[in-house]
Amino acid sequence: MLRPTLNELLSGMQRTIMEALMPELTSPYAQGQAMSAIGMLAHAAAVLESAPTYDAAEIKDLRATFAALKRLGDKHVSKKSGLRGALARATRASAKTPPDWRAMETAMAAFATAVALGHADDSVARHVRGYIRRNLERSRNLLGASLPSA
Amino acid sequence: MPHAREHRVMGLKRISGGSSRETYAFDLEWSEGTETHTRPMIGRRDPTGGLLKSDREREFKVIAAMHRAGLKVPEPLYLELDASVMDRPFFIMHRAHGQTGMGAFPAAEPESTRAKVADDFLGELARLQALDYRESGLEILGPPKNLEDPARIQAAHWNEIYERDRMGEHYPILDAAFAWLKANPVVTDRIVIVHGDYRSGNYLYDENGIIAMLDWEMAHLGDPMEDLGWASMMFWGRDGMAGGLMEREAFYRLYEQKTGNRVDRERLFFYQVLGNAKMAVICLTGIRDFVERRTSDAVMPFLELLLPALFEDLANQLRLV
Repeated sequence: MLRPTLNELLSGMQRTIMEALMPELTSPYAQGQAMSAIGMLAHAAAVLESAPTYDAAEIKDLRATFAALKRLGDKHVSKKSGLRGALARATRASAKTPPDWRAMETAMAAFATAVALGHADDSVARHVRGYIRRNLERSRNLLGASLPSA
Repeated sequence: MPHAREHRVMGLKRISGGSSRETYAFDLEWSEGTETHTRPMIGRRDPTGGLLKSDREREFKVIAAMHRAGLKVPEPLYLELDASVMDRPFFIMHRAHGQTGMGAFPAAEPESTRAKVADDFLGELARLQALDYRESGLEILGPPKNLEDPARIQAAHWNEIYERDRMGEHYPILDAAFAWLKANPVVTDRIVIVHGDYRSGNYLYDENGIIAMLDWEMAHLGDPMEDLGWASMMFWGRDGMAGGLMEREAFYRLYEQKTGNRVDRERLFFYQVLGNAKMAVICLTGIRDFVERRTSDAVMPFLELLLPALFEDLANQLRLV
């Protein structure tokens, strides 16, 4: 393994700013910027480890959600609302290697919009809401811990 | 100051806050006749990048109009649009004393201070909304053509910025929010001056209440429910407290007392949805400017961390969870 690891580098740079740079800074604005940089390095170190798990979980969940929506059949996914086209694009995107995450999110945006506007039937809405709930929980877990205190 | 001479800028230092402009505090010393005067000042210079793209002349004129009307604002003193003077346009205001916070009113403050600030906060909003924009010389803000326009204009404006600054990404909840706003516009009952960022964190205060409302760069003409909706968003104060100032329903009742106007819940809800979407877009603008190197402000990447709370509030509002 190459040393220092990325994590060791990031925490080392936090120490450099705190111990070598901060004592030399006299302006409160510059000190604030340095503290923000330290906070962001800490966030980067935390995310570095959990981001791959987050990404994998997101892609897996999107795939599973679109597969479930597809299983509902044409009766539930209306052509009029444009959801059938979105589902077809999502299915193609999730079959790619690696999956086209951005295209899947674009399709999910169409489904979320249909739910918000009341254009999706209950079975579709249940799957979409389930995905959004899990997505929010993952985002909260990934980013929430790094929130600076005001 | 036509007879002033020997101007000296003393103790110039950059300060945090007002992220849409670079903000500097200094004391100006000058001689007039045989006397020497000193005055605390704030200079706001256009940024290279940042949270908002706004017109400093417009902001200056709004603050000047508010000052003339007797609202609690810093006295605006000087506007320089010629970028050759200090690289970018800037303006100078009197520097009022007082403290400010980042978001919700600080929980550690005494109850008496909180009550005075809450009362002033809604009192100033009532005074702002009672002003006639024509008499205030603020037709420059572009009067809406009819009562349907404010909601449509604001939703379209922030949707346009979202399209510009989303860097090719689709945020499903934000897409849904803008579609919902477009499909459910509300109609205002009158056109008032809207601060555009009226919230805890945008005022200076002390133990006697609010000293000055700050950050007028998003001011425009629109629906009175817009500022109330923004100020009472969950984002600025959790635990049922609007802006950390007072319990939300009591906040609405005090607004009704101060203004003599009823809180229209449908319009309030619309502007709270718009507020969450707008705040998310402001975050995306800051992130984009940081990523594309228009700003090196180390606070900008933190904006990413604010998105989950905004998305969660939007998802709850739009029944997406």
